[in-house]
Amino acid sequence: MSAPGRGARAAEVGDRVARVALGRLGEPGDPRIARLVAELGAPAVHAALLEQRDVCGVETDVAARLRGLDPETDLARAAAAGIRFLCPGDHEWPAALSDLDHAGALNQRGGAPLGLWVRGPRRLDELCGSGTGAVAVVGSRSATTYGTGVAGSMAADLAGEGVAVISGAAFGIDQAAHRGALSARGPTIAVLACGVDRAYPSAHRELLAYVADTGLVVSELAPGCAPTKLRFLARNRLIAALGRGTVVVEAAFRSGALNTANWASLLNRVVMGVPGPVTSAPSEGVHELIRTRDASLVTRGSDVLELVAPTGTVVPVTHRGSERPHDRLTERQQQVLDAVPVAQAAPASSVARTAGLAVAGVVTILRGLREAGFVEVGEDGWRLASPPAGGSAVAGPVLTAERQAGP
Amino acid sequence: MVVATTRTVSLTGATGHLVDVQVDISHGLVATALVGRPDASVVEARDRCRAAVTNSGFEWPSTRRVTILLSPADLPKSGSHFDLAIAVGVLAASGTVPRRRLDKTMLIGELGLDGRLRPVPGVLPMTMAARARGMTCVVVPEPQAAEAALVPGVDVIGVRSLLQVVARLKGVEVPDAPPVEATASAALLSWRGDDRVAELDLSEVLGMTDARFALEVAASGGHHLMLSGPKGAGKTTLAERLPGLLPDLEVEESLELCAIYSLSGGLPAELSRRGPEAGGRLLTRPPFRAPHHSASRASLLGGGTGRVRPGEVSRAHTGALFLDEFPLFNTDIIEALRQPLESGEITITRGEESATFPARAMVVLACNPCPCGDFHPRNRDNRCTCTEVRRRDYRRKISGPITDRIDITRHVEPVAPHEARDPLARPEPTAVVRARVEAARRRQADRYTATPWRLNAHVPGPVLRERWPLEPDAALLLDDRVYSGTLTRRGATRVHRLAWTVADLRAAERPGLAELDVALRLRSGDALVVESISRRPGPVDRSLPGTPLPAGAVPEGGP
Repeated sequence: MSAPGRGARAAEVGDRVARVALGRLGEPGDPRIARLVAELGAPAVHAALLEQRDVCGVETDVAARLRGLDPETDLARAAAAGIRFLCPGDHEWPAALSDLDHAGALNQRGGAPLGLWVRGPRRLDELCGSGTGAVAVVGSRSATTYGTGVAGSMAADLAGEGVAVISGAAFGIDQAAHRGALSARGPTIAVLACGVDRAYPSAHRELLAYVADTGLVVSELAPGCAPTKLRFLARNRLIAALGRGTVVVEAAFRSGALNTANWASLLNRVVMGVPGPVTSAPSEGVHELIRTRDASLVTRGSDVLELVAPTGTVVPVTHRGSERPHDRLTERQQQVLDAVPVAQAAPASSVARTAGLAVAGVVTILRGLREAGFVEVGEDGWRLASPPAGGSAVAGPVLTAERQAGP
Repeated sequence: MVVATTRTVSLTGATGHLVDVQVDISHGLVATALVGRPDASVVEARDRCRAAVTNSGFEWPSTRRVTILLSPADLPKSGSHFDLAIAVGVLAASGTVPRRRLDKTMLIGELGLDGRLRPVPGVLPMTMAARARGMTCVVVPEPQAAEAALVPGVDVIGVRSLLQVVARLKGVEVPDAPPVEATASAALLSWRGDDRVAELDLSEVLGMTDARFALEVAASGGHHLMLSGPKGAGKTTLAERLPGLLPDLEVEESLELCAIYSLSGGLPAELSRRGPEAGGRLLTRPPFRAPHHSASRASLLGGGTGRVRPGEVSRAHTGALFLDEFPLFNTDIIEALRQPLESGEITITRGEESATFPARAMVVLACNPCPCGDFHPRNRDNRCTCTEVRRRDYRRKISGPITDRIDITRHVEPVAPHEARDPLARPEPTAVVRARVEAARRRQADRYTATPWRLNAHVPGPVLRERWPLEPDAALLLDDRVYSGTLTRRGATRVHRLAWTVADLRAAERPGLAELDVALRLRSGDALVVESISRRPGPVDRSLPGTPLPAGAVPEGGP
C-alpha cells in the first residue's frame, strides 16, 4: 500500500495539471469526481487521491491507475501533436459546459468535464457561443440512405448559415452530418469517446483528419485512450451540452442517439427529431421522441435554425403549397364561377339559377370575374375563359376587382 | 431413275430443321419444278441456280424435266441459303459431282448469277443444328467460315464460288476465285455507340448510394431493375454504366448471342473479320441495347416480314436491355414483355409459324414519376404541372404484372448539393465494383455447376426453395410477408433470389435475416441501411463499443 514518492508527489500542482491527472485517473463523466472538483478544486482532489486518502470511495477505484501518472508529459506530448487542453477559466472554454454541473446524471454519468482535449484550427468558444451557436445532429449508426441524405442536407444548410454542426464521427448519421457541414465549407465539431489522436472508427480516419483540418475534434479523454461503451455514454452529454439543440435524425429504440436527446432535454436544450416512414425501424425512436417527449419535428435546416437561433434573428417561414389564383376569390365569387359553363355560353340568368343567387348580384360578380380573366362574355352569354397556354400553376388570371374583399 | 440428295437447314426462329434437297432428272415435259412449300425467296433460287450453274461452266439439264423437292415437304421454307444445296443437287443428279460425300455435308449459301457464293443470315444456328443432327462437314460462304467455326466438332469449309465447291466435292485442285464481300450489317436500332457506353465509369457518378448498390446487385445476379425519378436525376447515367459491371461472356453465352446476331442479319462485320483468333469466340462483351420508346413491336420483340427475326429483347440476351421512358412504350409491347421478364425467352407466333428466341437479358426500366417529369414526392421540390388524372394514367402504364416481375425498384433523386460538394466523396470506379460482381458470379457458377442455370435470377422458384433455401428464420419472415399480403408468391421468389445475390456479394454461406432485409428493401424501394451496403476495410471497424476490442485497442483502464 505504499506508493513510491508519496510525500513528494503530494505537493500541490497547478489546476490544469491536476485536471489532466484526474482525467487520467477517473472515467469520464464520473459524477463523484466532478462533484469533488466543484467543491474542493482539482488540485486538492488530486493531492488527496495521490495521498491515497479515500474520498467518497473514489480512491479505491483509481488506485490501479495511480502508478505511472505523468500529467506534465501528457500535456507536452499533446502540444507536440498539435493538441491543446482546455479547462474552465480558459478563454476558449465554452460556458455552455457548466450547465452540466446542474443537470444531474444519466447512467451514473454526469457533471462538467474536467477539461477538453482539442485538435483543430477553430476556437471552441466561438463555434459554440457566438451568433447562432452550434447544433448537434446525431442518429443511428445503422441508418438508412434516407437518414444520411436528410442529415447531410440539413447539416449543409446549417453550416451554410454559419452554425457549427456537432456530431460523434460514428458510422451512419454522424458521418453524414459531418460531411454535410464540410460540403458547405462550414464549421463542424467531432466529439469523440476516445483520444483525439485516434481514429475511431478507423474507416473514418480521413474524415477525422479533414475535420481536424477545418473544424474541431474534441474529447475529454486524454490522447491515446480507447473507446468503451461507458465512454460513449459520457461523450453524449458533451455533444448535447455544446449544442444549442440536438437533432435526432434516425434512431431505433435502443440507439445511443436517444441518450444524447435525453441529455439535451436534461440540459434544457432544444430537442428536435426528423421523422421517417412510420414503418421504418430506424425511425421508431425518433417518432417516440416526438410523440411522448416534447421533441420538435424538423424537416430542414431552416426549421432547426428557427428553433435554436436567438430570438429575433430569424424570421419564421410558414411552408405551404403554391398559391392558385382561385384561392383569392370570395365564396360568392367561387359560387358564381362554379356555375359558369365551360364551353356553351349561358346568360347571366341561367348562371344565377345554377348558382342559386340573385341575378343582379351575379352580374356584378361576373363582371368582376371577367376583369380578372376568369370568365369571358359573348353574344350568347358567359362562359369560362380558355386556360392560358403553358398551364403553369401560379400564372393565371389576375384579380383586380374585389381583390381586397377577399377573406 | 436418277435422284440426288443434298442437305441443308431451314430455320424457324432459332430452331433449325434438317432439309433434304432431292433432285430428280427425268424425261417428260421440259420444266424445272421446285416443290416442298418454298416461299418467294426460295422459288427465285431456281433462276439463280440455273444461271450460276451455266456461268460456272457446267451444264444445266435444260432438255429434261427437273424436279426439286425440299423435304420434309410440309415445312414452310424461306431464305436464300437453299441455293447452294439446290445447285449441287442438280449437278449431282446430272452426274457432274460424285454423290458419296453429300449425305454428311451441309451446304449453305446464296448464289450469285456468276456462281459466286454470298453470305446469308443465320449461319451459326444452322451449323449448330447441323452438328446436332450428326453432320460432320459444313460448306459456308467464306466470309462466314469464322462464324460457323464457333461450333466445335464440325469441319467448316469456307468457299467463294460454286466452282470451288464442286472441285472440293470431286477432290480435285480448288481453283482460285475473287473474294466475296461480307454483307455489311447495320443494327436495326442503334441508339448510342457501344464504344461510348464502354468508356463510361461509375466513378463519375456522385451520390445515389443505394441506386449504385442496386445496380451492383442487379449485375451480380442478373436481376431486373426499375429506376424511377424526376428527369435529370441520373437514371440514364446510371443505367449506361451497367454493361461495364458485367463480366466477359462465357463461351456458351457467346455462342448463344452470336447465334441471335447471326439470325438478325449476320454478325457485325468487324466482329466476323476478327475471327477465331479472338479467343475462339466472336463476341466477348455482353450486349447493351437501348431501343427508343417509339420502336415497333417487331423490332423490339421479334418478328418482321417474311422470316421471323429476333428483336432487341433477344439481341440483348446475356446482357442488358435498357428501356428508357418505359411508360411511353406502347401498351401491348409493355404487356408482351412479361414473358421474357419471367422465363428468359420470347415466343412469336403468327400463322402456322411459331418461333422461340432466347431473351435472357437483365431488363432495366427507367420511368419518370409523371409525364412532365417534374413530379416529386417531396412536396417542396415538386414543380409538376400534370393533372392528377394524367399522372395516374401514366403510372398505370407500368402495370401491376410488370412491376411484380421487376426484382429491384429504386427511386433516384437528383444529386443533392451536399453530395456534389462533399470533399470526402470517393465514388467507386467501375473496375472495383466489377471485381465484386465477378466474384459473386463465380460463387453462383460454382453453386449451379451441372445445372442449366448460370445466375440466381435464372433458377426456378420451386428448385430454389427445395435445393437452396434461406435460413429458417429468414424463410419464416418471407412466408409471413406472403400471408400478410405484402408480397405475392412470385414476388417472394424474386426476393429469395435477390437474397442469394446479396449473400453472394457478401460471400455468405446462405442468406439469412440480414440478407433478406436488404432484398426486401431492394424490392420495395425502401431506403437501404447504410451499414448493409457500405464496405469497410476490415473486421476491426465492425467492433461496436461493448464488444471486445481488437488487440492494440485495449482501454487504458477499465471502468
